[in-house]
Parts: sequence; structure tokens; C-alpha cells
Amino acid sequence: METIEQILETTYRTVREFSYNEKKSLQVSEEERINEMLDAINDFKKNLSDRTSKMTEIIDLMERVTWVKKDPSEESLMMINDVISSSKDLRSSLIRLYISFEDYRKKGIVKEEIKAFKHTIDDFTEMYEDLEAKFFFLPKMPDFQETTRQLSLV
Amino acid sequence: MKLFCIDPFKKEFDKLSGKKSYKDLESELIGYFFNKEASDLNTGSLLNNNHETPYIKKRLSGRGGYRIYYLLLIKNDGLYLMFVHPKTGSEGASNTSNEYKAHLYKEVLRCIKENDLYELSLSESGKKIVFKHLGD
Repeated sequence: METIEQILETTYRTVREFSYNEKKSLQVSEEERINEMLDAINDFKKNLSDRTSKMTEIIDLMERVTWVKKDPSEESLMMINDVISSSKDLRSSLIRLYISFEDYRKKGIVKEEIKAFKHTIDDFTEMYEDLEAKFFFLPKMPDFQETTRQLSLV
Repeated sequence: MKLFCIDPFKKEFDKLSGKKSYKDLESELIGYFFNKEASDLNTGSLLNNNHETPYIKKRLSGRGGYRIYYLLLIKNDGLYLMFVHPKTGSEGASNTSNEYKAHLYKEVLRCIKENDLYELSLSESGKKIVFKHLGD
């Protein structure tokens, strides 16, 4: 059975690599990117679908992190924090990418893939917010732990 | 598994069900929650840290779609729907605040203790959810 550290390591590595590649791809000028995409709409669709799938993979990993039974160690919490920080960084890159698709969206080019991409960015954002809530915010809310204790007695 | 809900869920359900753009909510809920075992419903994001009384947030209907907050009391074989919101459309919200997540958690405990709950069942056709308040 995988430990929380192993799942977190996989999650962090996936987010980190994806974030780095997104930043690198943004260094290509918009015009070059648009020309390239117009030349290869099918490649564009595939790239977009691949990014969407990668985000979905990360969302699933993060959901698994929330179900690990053992209380996270201090080190695990630091890793969770790293995952959340990298995810925020990744989101910024993905949103910039999404904004650069404005012309395509207006013209209805690969409309469905772009829509799915945006929805998945929103799901991804929601997921890391919930990860942060579960490990850092909710346990500190007044009465949250006490409610858990009382529910176990019902 | 017995299904219950608390008032914040029912209020949202009633509001959303009256809108054309959310007409699939009822069938989504029926398909996901009715006639299921606890083990089928132990998925989504776990918000608390107790696997016997998991507080779960579930994404329904894929991208966009709805978010459902519920509590499972495994030993009592009970499921308590706490809140629902769509992601998109006129009533859409990107997420709920941490304060509201914590508030719902306290509220469901109060409702269970005071029996201030609605029990959910299906109509004869199996296409409608029937709510019955336990205090009445």
C-alpha cells in the first residue's frame, strides 16, 4: 500500500514538471504559437486534451491524498504545502494559456476542447483549495475537531 | 442505506429544481445516491479525518456539474446530504468558503442530535425524490 509520502511525492513531481513545461511554452511568442496552432489544429486538440487529462490525473491524486488514514507527519504537511504552492503557480500558467485562446474561442475553433480545458482548470483550482482546507484550515476552525469527536459518538 | 438531508440542502434543491438549466439535478442525485451501499459512496474529497463518519465533497456530473456535501455514518448506515451547488449557470459558484464548510459540519451534528432531518425516498415512478420531515 502506498504511503502518503509516496502519493505526495508523485503529486508534487507531476505538478512541478507540468508547471515548468507550461512556463517554458509561454516563452514562445504568441504569434508563433498561433501560427503553429493554425497549421496543426489536430495537434492543438491533442495537446489540449493531454493537458486536460494531466490535470484530471492530478485531481485524482489529490483526492487520494485526502483519504490517507494515517495523520500526516510534519514532513508530509510540508509536502502538501509544496503541492498546493506549485499548483497555484501551475494554475496561473494554465490561465494565461487559456486567455491566449481567446481568438479561437471567438471563432469557435476547437470550442469543446477549450471549454473542457477551462472547466478542468476550475476543478483543479477547487481541488487544491479543498486540499488546503482539509489539512490547514478546517482543523483550525472553531469546533471542527469537536464536531468530529461528537459525531463518532452518535 | 437510509438517506437524510438537512435544511440547507433541501432549500438549495428546491431552488435549483425550479430552474430549467438545472433540471438534471434530481436524476443525478437519484442515480448517484439511491440504492447504494456505503462503500459505493466513499469517494470524492474527504474533508474531515474520520473514516467512520466521513464528511465528503463529491463532484457530480463530470466537468462543471454539481458539488454535493454529505456525511456518512457508517455504523448507522445513514447518509446525510448537507448542501448542493452547481458550478456553472446563474446559481453557479466556484467553491464554498471554509467557514461555510465548517458551519455545515456543525449544523449536521445539531440536526442529527435534534432529529431535525428530512428522510428521502423515491416516488412510485422512481423519478422524484420525496422529502419527509422527521419532526412532523
